[in-house]
Amino acid sequence: MQYIAKTPQQSELQTAKFIWIASCCVYTGFEMHLSQRLELFPEYTVTQLLFKDVKNATDLRKNAIAGEISGALINPSVLVDPFQVLVATNKALHLQKIGKMKTRSLYSEIIFNLSPTNNISEAFKNFGISDSDSAVQVVLVHADAEQNNMDDILSKVDGQQISVHHISSLSNIAKIKKLYKVSPQEELCGSLLDAVICRMATKDVL
Amino acid sequence: MAVEKTNNHVLHFLRSAELLKQGAEARVYRGEFLGKPTVVKERFPKLYRHPTLDEKLTHRRTVQEVRSILRCRKAGISVPVVYFVDYTSHCIFLEDIVGSVTVRDYINSAHTSEAKNLEVVARKIGEILAKMHDEDLVHGDLTTSNMLMKRGPGCGEADLLLIDFGLSYISALPEDKGVDLYVLEKAFLSTHPNTEALFETLLKSYSASSKKSQTVIKKLDEVRLRGRKRSMVG
Repeated sequence: MQYIAKTPQQSELQTAKFIWIASCCVYTGFEMHLSQRLELFPEYTVTQLLFKDVKNATDLRKNAIAGEISGALINPSVLVDPFQVLVATNKALHLQKIGKMKTRSLYSEIIFNLSPTNNISEAFKNFGISDSDSAVQVVLVHADAEQNNMDDILSKVDGQQISVHHISSLSNIAKIKKLYKVSPQEELCGSLLDAVICRMATKDVL
Repeated sequence: MAVEKTNNHVLHFLRSAELLKQGAEARVYRGEFLGKPTVVKERFPKLYRHPTLDEKLTHRRTVQEVRSILRCRKAGISVPVVYFVDYTSHCIFLEDIVGSVTVRDYINSAHTSEAKNLEVVARKIGEILAKMHDEDLVHGDLTTSNMLMKRGPGCGEADLLLIDFGLSYISALPEDKGVDLYVLEKAFLSTHPNTEALFETLLKSYSASSKKSQTVIKKLDEVRLRGRKRSMVG
C-alpha cells in the first residue's frame, strides 16, 4: 500500500479553503485526507475525506443523486475505520471490472458494499447521507493521483474538514453493532472492525 | 477461457505475492492487501476435471469455506478475518496471523519440561472444537497443522485459531462430529507419537465443554472400531 503524502503546502490542487481549514487545525502528524493505491487496481487511487459540522447535507445528497458529485457520500456514524471504506471500494472496483455490479454506478456500489445485507434501498438509507446529517465521509476514486476532484468536493461541502483518522470519534458503536448484528460473543474473538469487514466481504453468499 | 483467466487482476496480483504452499486443492500466497498482511487461498482450475464440473465444485467449496468462517466468527470461535472474495478466480483473501505457529510445530518443538503447557493447549483445542460442533459445524479436515497459535503470554480465548474450512459443512449428526474427532485423533497420534494421554486430555475437555458430547463420543468409539467410512449395508 502506498500512501501518497501530500501536505497542503506541496500540493497545487488544494483550494484556498482547504489551506485555510488545514492551517486552523492543530497539526497532528496526519494528513487531513487519506489517499491510497489499491494493490489489485494499481491504476486507481482512493481518497477519503471527512467533514463535520456540515450544513448543506440536503444539497450534497441531491447533487450526488443527480450525478453532479463524482464521489460516494457516506454517513460516518456507521464507519469504524477508513479500512472499512477501502474494502468496500476495492470490492466495487472488482465488481465493476467483471461487470457484476448490483447498482448503477461505482459510487453507489461502494455504499451498497458497506451494507451487511443485499437490500439496495436499505443500504442507501443506512450508509448514505441523509438530510439531517451533520457529518459526511467522502470517497473519491481517481485514475491518477494528480487529477483528482478533491478541490471540487472541498468547494461543495459547507463544513469543517477533519482528519480521516478521527473517523472513530464520529462512529456510533451501538448503531454499528445493531446494523451488522454483532453479538457480544463474536467480540471475544476479534475487534468490531473484524466483524464488520467479515460481514461485508461475505454478504453475497448469505 | 485460459486467456480470460490470465487477464484477471486478482491473478495478476498473485504473481507478485509469495507462494507459501501448494496443495492438491489450492495454492496459498502471502502478500499485502489494502495495507494489511494477507494470505490468499487460490483454488486453481483442475484440468483433470470436466470444466463445467470443475467450476461448480470449486465455486461451491469457496462459498462453503467463506460461510463456515462467518459462522465460526459469529459463534466466537477465532478464525482469520475474510477481507475479500473473488468468485471468478476462486480466491479468498484472509487475515494473515502474523507471528503464529501451527499447533503441529508447537507440539513438535516443545520440550518435555513444557508438558504442562501442552496440556493447556490440548484443553483449549477441546473447548474450541466443542463450541464449533455445538454450532453444528463439522470441520472435515482437523489436523494440528490446521490450528494456529498466536505466540503470546498465556493462552487466552483468542490465541488459538482454526484454519482451512475447505472441507467443512453443516451437520447436526453425532456421526459426522464423531468422524471429525476420529480424523483428528488419527492425524494427531501419527504426527505426534506417544501423545495418547495428551489427546485424552483434549477429548475430556471436549466432553466437559460440549452440551451434546455424550452421543458424539459414543459415535467416536463406534467409528474407531469400524473406521471412517460407514458400512454400506442395505
